[in-house]
Amino acid sequence: MALLKVKFDQKKRVKLAQGLWLMNWLSVLAGIIIFSLGLFLKIELRKRSDVMNNSESHFVPNSLIVMGVLSCVFNSLAGKICYDALDPAKYAKWKPWLKPYLAVCVLFNIALFLVTLCCFLMRGSLESTLAHGLKNGMKYYRDTDTPGRCFMKKTIDLLQIEFKCCGNNGFRDWFEIQWISNRYLDFSSKEVKDRIKSNVDGRYLVDGVPFSCCNPSSPRPCIQYQLTNNSAHYSYDHQTEELNLWVNGCRAALLSYYSSLMNSMGAVTLLVWLFEVTITIGLRYLHTALEGVSNPEDPECESEGWLLEKSVSETWKAFLESLKKLGKSNQVEAEGADAGQAPEAG
Amino acid sequence: MAPVLPLVLPLQPRIRLAQGLWLLSWLLALAGGLTLLCSGHLLVQLWHLSTFLAPSCPFAILPQVALAAGTVALGTGLVGAGASRASLDAAQYRPWRKVLSPLLVAGTAAGGGLLVFALGLTLALPGSLDTGLEEGLGTALAHYKDTEVPGHCHAKRLLDELQLRHHCCGRHGYKDWFGVQWVSSRYLDPSDQDVVDRIQSNVEGLYLIDGVPFSCCNPHSPRPCLQSRLSDPHAHPLFDPRQPSLNLWTQGCHAALLGHLQSLASTLGSTLTVTFMLQILVLLGLRYLQTALEGLGGVIDGEGEAQGYLFPSGLKDMLKTAWLQGGVAHRPAPEEAPAEEEPPKEGLPEA
Repeated sequence: MALLKVKFDQKKRVKLAQGLWLMNWLSVLAGIIIFSLGLFLKIELRKRSDVMNNSESHFVPNSLIVMGVLSCVFNSLAGKICYDALDPAKYAKWKPWLKPYLAVCVLFNIALFLVTLCCFLMRGSLESTLAHGLKNGMKYYRDTDTPGRCFMKKTIDLLQIEFKCCGNNGFRDWFEIQWISNRYLDFSSKEVKDRIKSNVDGRYLVDGVPFSCCNPSSPRPCIQYQLTNNSAHYSYDHQTEELNLWVNGCRAALLSYYSSLMNSMGAVTLLVWLFEVTITIGLRYLHTALEGVSNPEDPECESEGWLLEKSVSETWKAFLESLKKLGKSNQVEAEGADAGQAPEAG
Repeated sequence: MAPVLPLVLPLQPRIRLAQGLWLLSWLLALAGGLTLLCSGHLLVQLWHLSTFLAPSCPFAILPQVALAAGTVALGTGLVGAGASRASLDAAQYRPWRKVLSPLLVAGTAAGGGLLVFALGLTLALPGSLDTGLEEGLGTALAHYKDTEVPGHCHAKRLLDELQLRHHCCGRHGYKDWFGVQWVSSRYLDPSDQDVVDRIQSNVEGLYLIDGVPFSCCNPHSPRPCLQSRLSDPHAHPLFDPRQPSLNLWTQGCHAALLGHLQSLASTLGSTLTVTFMLQILVLLGLRYLQTALEGLGGVIDGEGEAQGYLFPSGLKDMLKTAWLQGGVAHRPAPEEAPAEEEPPKEGLPEA
């Protein structure tokens, strides 16, 4: 009992081969698109590796790049096979390769599906990387004269301006670290000395934020310093003021940006996976239909195409049997080699 | 009556002409598409910057005319591709025979005219940007504080975003902010003596300070941004004299925007030039192909003399025939000239 048998006459076979040829070349285009998506994601991750501690995982973009290249290679090969399938002479040279090629295609489709799943599931690891990276970035904000960290201020400022965010979880993160370098503190001022003395670690902490946290949509000029002191500014209540600074934390902003990027890439990869599965099924039908041509002299005759020669359970049993035979023949060969006698095939 | 600029076209050169024309037409269509994209981009940029350009500035006409010219060029390219492809097959060329003449006239008049006009505008208009931007930015600076006045409530946000994106401060420099009241009176404490002193010491009662908004800050500065008391040398005693320019953006927004828009206009100008040259070539080629095929009866490999020309007779003769044609319609007096002009008149509707 063959699985999903379909009758094919000459015209149908030709149409199938032509349709598959077109689909394969479209699939090469899709492979190029996946390659460029992977490249784009890799570049975006590299651009902001400073705030991710340089320890972000490049697994998703790397696998997208590899899958894109493999898809191009396999599908152009399949296109060539479909083109030759209509000519019995040319098809004869491809015949022995088709079965292993189909097996490789099935494995490739499984791998592509796994990559699609990864696109949707990588969110968690990115979140923890971002939390650590941003914390360190803010810690090194003031070290503009330390080689290796002198660019951190510029990076964080440009990040906060571009992604419209402030701090790690919110603007209050800036109250807990010293983001003004000692070089620019006037140690002769009483106020500075008081603040440093009142802090356990001798740090100069202020209830202020850098300028890049300012929200341009605010109706009043930006209030950056003495944020919790209502009396320092006219007509200001820090509990109800919403538009003065960006409310989002940069971790949430970056996470949502990368999540949306990876989700859309996952969606595109899923569509390409469905397309590839269709192509593999079509190729299998073409293979079995051409195998089933009983009389090679008469190309006009009808033939049958199927997915599996027997039903699924029988095919699985036969597959296990052939594996066992392979194992047995190896065992017997090994014994024969020991005993110095030629074994009989099992 | 000698035809103008005749060209003998045997079979092979005719076919070559048709093929070359097909390629050129697709190139023209591509150039027309590029012009459309460039002018569309410029229009979008101008729409975003409309607050900072005085409404009287005529600069916006340039991308609109370029858009029209690009559309006509695209159309000409597509028509040329279709006609040259059809000319290789006698059956396909038949419907084109009637349509080609008016299309050529329309293409020359509309396309050529629009392209020349657009090129002229590209050279003349960027000069008007200077005054337009000057006025527009001045208005925006004056209305920075008016966040609750309908009609100007977006000036603050737009100006802040402009300064952040284009890395500029003020009109020509950060000192422009010292001459404008950019802190709204709503947020000024009337009981604060300093505020009262400042307002009273100013002739117009404005609250002017030597400070700038946060959007002027330069993120590349090694120290946290100094925004207030910028003209007081003792206010920030540790201000690094070696890097005074890193604290705020040094460029004025006038220069920044002018450079940005002028580079966009020059890109548009170069695409227009390329489109113009391609359009001339395509129109000339089409005319020669058409007149050569007319001489053969509409078949590219037909028998007969194959001569292509621009006009069947010189300009003076064409005007004379047109004048006499009009004269025959009014006066029935038989003249020899119109009778002789009859056969060449056939060429006239095509020209």
